[in-house]
Amino acid sequence: MPKVVIDNKEVQVSDGATLLQAAAQAGIAIPTLCYLDGCAPPTSCLVCVVAVKGQDRLLPACATVAQEGMVVGSQTPSVLAARRAALELLLSDHVGDCIAPCQSACPAHMDIPRMLRALAGGDDALAAAIAKEAIPLPAVLGRICPAPCEKACRRGAIDQPVPICLLKRFAGDWALGHKEDEPSAPPPTSGKKVAVVGAGPAGLTAAWYLRLSGHAITLFDRQEAPGGAMRQIPPDRLRAEVLSAEAGMILRQGVEYRPNSQITPADLADLATQFDAVLVATGQAGAADALIDPSAVDKSALRLAGGNIFAAGAVLGAHRLAVRALAQGRQVARSVDLYLRGQAILPAPRPFTCRMGHLTQEELKELLAQAEPCGAETPAGGTVPGGTGFQPVHGTGYKPVPPGNLEGFSVDQARRQARRCLHCDCRKADNCRLRDRAAELEAKPGRYTGQRRQLRLFRQVGGVVYEPGKCISCGLCVQITQEQSERLGLAFVGRGFSVRVAVPFEESISAGLAKTARRCVQACPTGALAEDNAPK
Amino acid sequence: MHESLLRELEISGDGDTDADGLFTVQKVACLGCCTLAPVLQIDGVTYGHLKPQDIGGVLRDFLALEKAAPAARKAPSRLAAPLGEIRVGLGSCCIAKGSGKVYEALVAAVEHLGASATVKRVGCVGICHQTPLVEVVVPGQPPVLYAQVTSQDAAALVKRHFRPPGTLRRLRHAAGSALEHLLTDEAWESVQRYAIDVRDEPIDAFLGRQEHLATEHCGLLDPLDLQEYVRLEGFAALGRALKEMTPEQVIAEVSASGLRGRGGAGFPTGRKWSLVRQASGQLKYAVCNGDEGDPGAFMDRMLLESYPFRVIEGMIIAAYAVGAGQGIFYIRAEYPLAVRRIEHALEICRREGYLGENILGSGFSLDLRIMQGAGAFICGEETALMESIEGRRGMPRLRPPYPAQSGLWGKPTLINNVETYALAPYILREGPGAFEALGTPKSKGTKVFALAGKAARGGLIEVPMGITLRQIVGEIGGGVGPGRTLKAVQVGGPSGGCVPAELVDTPVDYEALTAAGAIMGSGGLVVLDDRDCMVDIARYFLEFTQDQSCGKCTFCRVGTKRMLEILQRLCEGKGKAADLEELQSLAEVIQQGSLCALGRTAPNPVLSTLKYFRDEYLAHIAGRCPAGRCKTLITYRVTDDCIGCTLCAQVCPADAIAPRPYQKHEIDKEKCTRCDSCRGVCPVSAVVVE
Repeated sequence: MPKVVIDNKEVQVSDGATLLQAAAQAGIAIPTLCYLDGCAPPTSCLVCVVAVKGQDRLLPACATVAQEGMVVGSQTPSVLAARRAALELLLSDHVGDCIAPCQSACPAHMDIPRMLRALAGGDDALAAAIAKEAIPLPAVLGRICPAPCEKACRRGAIDQPVPICLLKRFAGDWALGHKEDEPSAPPPTSGKKVAVVGAGPAGLTAAWYLRLSGHAITLFDRQEAPGGAMRQIPPDRLRAEVLSAEAGMILRQGVEYRPNSQITPADLADLATQFDAVLVATGQAGAADALIDPSAVDKSALRLAGGNIFAAGAVLGAHRLAVRALAQGRQVARSVDLYLRGQAILPAPRPFTCRMGHLTQEELKELLAQAEPCGAETPAGGTVPGGTGFQPVHGTGYKPVPPGNLEGFSVDQARRQARRCLHCDCRKADNCRLRDRAAELEAKPGRYTGQRRQLRLFRQVGGVVYEPGKCISCGLCVQITQEQSERLGLAFVGRGFSVRVAVPFEESISAGLAKTARRCVQACPTGALAEDNAPK
Repeated sequence: MHESLLRELEISGDGDTDADGLFTVQKVACLGCCTLAPVLQIDGVTYGHLKPQDIGGVLRDFLALEKAAPAARKAPSRLAAPLGEIRVGLGSCCIAKGSGKVYEALVAAVEHLGASATVKRVGCVGICHQTPLVEVVVPGQPPVLYAQVTSQDAAALVKRHFRPPGTLRRLRHAAGSALEHLLTDEAWESVQRYAIDVRDEPIDAFLGRQEHLATEHCGLLDPLDLQEYVRLEGFAALGRALKEMTPEQVIAEVSASGLRGRGGAGFPTGRKWSLVRQASGQLKYAVCNGDEGDPGAFMDRMLLESYPFRVIEGMIIAAYAVGAGQGIFYIRAEYPLAVRRIEHALEICRREGYLGENILGSGFSLDLRIMQGAGAFICGEETALMESIEGRRGMPRLRPPYPAQSGLWGKPTLINNVETYALAPYILREGPGAFEALGTPKSKGTKVFALAGKAARGGLIEVPMGITLRQIVGEIGGGVGPGRTLKAVQVGGPSGGCVPAELVDTPVDYEALTAAGAIMGSGGLVVLDDRDCMVDIARYFLEFTQDQSCGKCTFCRVGTKRMLEILQRLCEGKGKAADLEELQSLAEVIQQGSLCALGRTAPNPVLSTLKYFRDEYLAHIAGRCPAGRCKTLITYRVTDDCIGCTLCAQVCPADAIAPRPYQKHEIDKEKCTRCDSCRGVCPVSAVVVE
């Protein structure tokens, strides 16, 4: 029963306990990456290193057995630096994007690959729901957005980008034809009231998310109909009915709409006393009758200093893109919600992502293997199942599509075009220990650069994908296939930097993981081994 | 060499095999015969001291050798009682330089001339730079040592020392004696073949400073002659240990001798033995680590090849001391002669009762077997070595537990280096005091080094601890070449560091070498002069370790790669000022965080050169290579001194020089591969590097 001291805390542990277990017993969390309960510690990643007094080296806590009198530091500067360096070195040889480039490029960070998979698999309801997680006006944006996402799309390096914007429009149009599938906001149970001034893209969006958070919303606009500046878009790009229909969906969530309400600075002061919070999303910046001075707004919290007044959208400066105004509407909704809950308004944590950067043609071919080979198509028009009546509408303002192609996609086209997606997002973005540790320890993906692995994809018949480019060579899977007596299993091949986990004798991954595929996927700390999510 | 080989075999692109499927070309890290470098091995045949233009001849020679059916050799007939011995050094290096052929020619000459002599195979003499070495020993006369002998010299040599019996024969062979050319000039530097009196100055200097403990009877002993070994007090130590001493007493003597592990880390041997002895368990193992893989080191190979009985004796003593009933020699497969000799020696020992049940009637039983390593440097690390023996990929485990507690198959295991075992019999035979009397307060006895690089005389040496690097390089090695200056001594191979010329008075001592930024290591000693680029040296060693990393832990697998990439950039003149700081910080984290000693010591060559030769790094950042080594930073040019002899054009492997007799030659900079062949052959030093 040795006693050890970790970060000045003394703890007595059972014989054979590791420093990792001892630390846990002392209530000290040591980050781990390749360690997995039930497996022998691979001692590969070395993210769990600690300093032991009297040793001139750092030791992996996961495998170092606690010995009487050990004095351990788990937070010393050299320990923290080594942990971060280990992660940064791993990231320098990690070929994967946690978040696909399209989603990174989208100001609203819509989960585009997931929406495309839903469309490709024929689940339009899911596609619409995914779109609305980030963009409450997908049918509108699907017609007017200049689609920065498509400029980032990797498919563009092969032929043409996936027509994401038109596909979002398809999803949005589908939702408009299926009111029964509309999301329903919870009743206003928070007891808090918010006034939103201005029913443009920022105001509508903020109203929507604040309703979803359970607050009561009153939406003021000087116009009769909601939509703000979007009402000015010529009908050959955006017909008024589409805007009204989609804005109506928001208003139906229990938002009290007050049309024809011109709010003056005096009114604003009143609103600030009558409501728990006020959001100014009036659009025009720098106008004589502007309600707020943009320079007085904290650009991170989007809040006027000291008060309960918030601001978002073009009122803070000219927004050329509706999607940016919309993204800010979502941001301010979060700030207001935190404020109403009495919490500090901290900026939303930016999700960690590493980027694989430029891919060679060979690597792109690996990605292309499972994707629809055809190029981009001219929208043929047609009716979205359930019928919205909006399909023949002219005008998307969507540049990558050649002029004159003003129709939306037919159902067949939408499915086919969605299947063109290369799915270069990570299959385990939400379940990746490398990503989680990198985010926690603030590792910088570009800290070290140099030669990196090749992007390769091996698909198993049973539905597992092996991407050696994302492997951190921990060997958990090698261990599992050995323990379970796979006929072939996996093994380390090669030496030095180019060591790889592979099936021996260059056999297929199906042969190597005949019975342990699922277990290996669960054990794999990264997206190197993952369930295949490609649409059937 | 590699480029020339590919060109000669017309292998292009990524291929490694010629069109006929006869030759496959493979780069290997080290063949363990540095004094012969550049070296090339085809099947079992080693060719040394090659130049790119020799390749064609080498391939033809090999094919001719293959064709020649192995001639059945008659047993040498004895016409008279042997009067003397002709000893031929037959280590791998010697054989590579033609000693095998010399041996055969001598056997044939003795038979043909009816000389009263035996031709005897002996192990490595250590004077690798002068092989083939032949020593003639006639009772009552001082022994004569011949260097760089060829098979053509055999008959003359035999005739000189052993007069054929009978007047007729003598008359027949009197004419045409070629002895003159062997004896005309005895100066060291100028001629190719000559007789050396052992007391001649250079040999005296080479051997005079040495103390042969591990390499006892060097140049005398037939590696596989057990009777001779026993006659020269072989197995006396074993007899004493088994019959007169308890295991504890053996350990006490080894401890008292101050012997420390010769594999590199210098752990006290007595303490290690005692730990294994005290570990509980009936079954224990003793392992001999002969997986020597450092570039620049070939001590273990030489000991295994030349002193197999000695190493075996040491192992039996150790096994007795720790209570091991099973022992394993782990030897690199790249050392085929070492494997054969140990195999053969083990057979003899089993037959003669030195191995197996009830050794020498003592009741102690031990079996030894050989396991061949497959060429992974990391398997020299003891935990990786054990993984390899157990049949898995050689990847290190975290220590503790140490092998002494949980080693092979979880049993207590003693792992010592070849040289450590070879020293044990000396200590047991002569007593710990004799060993302890040599060396420094903390480093006792002797150390075997492979002296290579720019020293005038390279080879295998055994020196007392405490001798300074200056004495080794200057006195034993004869200093650097004429006109050159010593820049540094690289000690310890890829885990070691460069001791700069100003610290050349550093003694051979574990702690002193570590303080100087190097390590004792297993015994590689590479002498560097002003034409060696320290950035390139650091890059070379790191390239080796990176390539040999098992890839298990992040710091070693990825960290050393990132360091290497920086060094490669520096050597190409693409370095940035921030690179040096980056190297330093990466080196520190790799040293601290790596799982095993390979990773932890990998940055040493970089750190020591950064410390002592920072100006060279800065010069590379500025686009210059002061030593004129880094290919992309230098160009070759022919000066007006050119006499138009066309030699450079003849040796150029890249056709970058057109032959123009009696005119000044020119080098096509596009075609030039900067192989340095032209500069080497120019008789008037008209080829310069800029």
